[in-house]
Amino acid sequence: MNRESAKALAIGTLGVAAAMSLAMVASHVSPIVGFNAFFYGAFGGKQEIAETLASTTALLFPALGIAIAFRAGLFNIGAEGQLLIGGLLAGWIGTRIDVPPAIAIAAIFLAGAIGGALWGAIAGWLKAARDANEVISTLMLNFIAASLALYLVTGPLRAPDAAGPELSLLPHAYWLPTLLSHTRATIALPIALLAAFALRYVLDSTWFGYRLRAAGEAPEAARRAGISLPRVALWAMAWSGALAGMGGAALVAGELHRFNTQLSPGYGFIAIAVALVGGLEPLTICIAALAFGALESGGLALQAAAAVPKDAIHVIEGLLVFALAARRYLGARGAGAR
Amino acid sequence: MTLSLVLSLLALALVRGTPILLAALGGVLSERAGIVNIALEGEMTAGAFAAALLSYFTRDPWIGAIGGVAVGAAVGFALGFAATRWRVDQIVAGMGINLICTGGAAFGLIYVFNQAGVTPQVPAINQALWPMVVLGIALAAALQWAIARTPIGLRLRACGENPHAARAAGIDPLAVRLYASAIAGGLAGLGGVFLALGELNLYSDGMIAGRGFIALAAVIFGRWTPIGAAGVALIFGLLEALQFALQGNIAWLPSDFLQALPYIAALLALLGASGRYRPPAAEGKPYP
Repeated sequence: MNRESAKALAIGTLGVAAAMSLAMVASHVSPIVGFNAFFYGAFGGKQEIAETLASTTALLFPALGIAIAFRAGLFNIGAEGQLLIGGLLAGWIGTRIDVPPAIAIAAIFLAGAIGGALWGAIAGWLKAARDANEVISTLMLNFIAASLALYLVTGPLRAPDAAGPELSLLPHAYWLPTLLSHTRATIALPIALLAAFALRYVLDSTWFGYRLRAAGEAPEAARRAGISLPRVALWAMAWSGALAGMGGAALVAGELHRFNTQLSPGYGFIAIAVALVGGLEPLTICIAALAFGALESGGLALQAAAAVPKDAIHVIEGLLVFALAARRYLGARGAGAR
Repeated sequence: MTLSLVLSLLALALVRGTPILLAALGGVLSERAGIVNIALEGEMTAGAFAAALLSYFTRDPWIGAIGGVAVGAAVGFALGFAATRWRVDQIVAGMGINLICTGGAAFGLIYVFNQAGVTPQVPAINQALWPMVVLGIALAAALQWAIARTPIGLRLRACGENPHAARAAGIDPLAVRLYASAIAGGLAGLGGVFLALGELNLYSDGMIAGRGFIALAAVIFGRWTPIGAAGVALIFGLLEALQFALQGNIAWLPSDFLQALPYIAALLALLGASGRYRPPAAEGKPYP
């Protein structure tokens, strides 16, 4: 970490602490009581740590996916829809197969990846074949994914035993093993970390990663060097969607144990912030996901213990992203700025 | 289909389309000056919430309306300031602003009204709904003329296409971008006011429901011209209206597909109109 980022990080942390204190004081809560509740909620015990890790996992998969697209110069804001379709396919496969649990879990994750990849590839294909703006297409696909999922779970795929619009429960043997017993922290977290290391290797050390970065950083030079930009766009969006879809599969097999349309409370959107705060580097994204996961679970505890609305956390996340956008200015005034 | 049915459908289309139209005009203005405006959603949210809040406390909906526009403009000013003075990545900053505004409104609801999700009913300006629709269309025509035909419009475009040349011609690109972004925020804020006080008489979480992003799509489909963006915004309004009209009338069509109609149409439009979008050359690039 260089001095500029260290300085920006320090300013960011102080800013977050200041903003949180402000929110607490505004809600008539002493910051000492508030921070105590916050840290206890995020790290105070087994259950609390597990909640933080569960939120971390839910954000990490889509954030890694978003990083792939962004590194290729594609502004993929469709992780939410890709996650939903991945989760839908994962939840459907999980109720249709009868195999040993290890194979079933692998199939569930694979189904999630395929579902997300297909949904992402629609935007990738539109970009590749028709040079369609991916901001519009991924955004529209989010809305369409929500409608499609709702239609399928209320209509053709609706579980006969289900109370609401949802798919059947997965067989108990297919539920993801937990890291800490009786909590929401599952082996999805090590799988996500593995994906982060794999992604780092792919981006930094393979021909595919090189082409992807070249297309993102200097598209004209990449094109002249014989790299097919449409092909990169298609595959980058497919892989981006695949990771988001695996996030959906992790939520289905690890937390809800079935698919329903309430699968994600906006993880795909907050993951954009996570990817950006993590500087689009897979390993720093892991740290950013942990920080955001702690904010989410600590924020919930803060709401329960000290009546500070949880939404204050989203304001703080926004400030963090905003400060990050200004980091060149905050870190090194003028000097070395782009 | 009878004539009255067609007319009521078109009327609904205008009402559904106008908030998108207003925000899209803001988007055109700021993007032609060179600032990517991904923050329209947040600006609409801030405008709608501020309007409901002020109307509640002053019991005067007009103060609420003016306040909503002002708060939207302030958010636009913040984006413009960060973009010009701090040279931030405009897309990243816009995402941050969206999070701050939606989170801030939800926080404010609980903090001020001590209830989640929705404000109490506030004094509204429902009688001004149609004047606002007309105002939106008139603004589109006026902006089209102003951008294409007036010296100020020329300066605005110069800052979006080539700020260095603009500078050489004696224009201050930083000031032009800052003010364009602030006015854009005000227009998006007016879109929020239209929803909160024109159509309804309250603010509720999620009431903007992606309209700021739809407006962004309208800017791009409309090829960065006010008339084009306004037209696309009204087509979105028409598709939304159609969805209401068809709901329950066509048995074999699931209602969820109708809900997705505007978005599927936009996706198909992307298919048909390839490579015809050229954004302003210096859009998103910090100056100097």
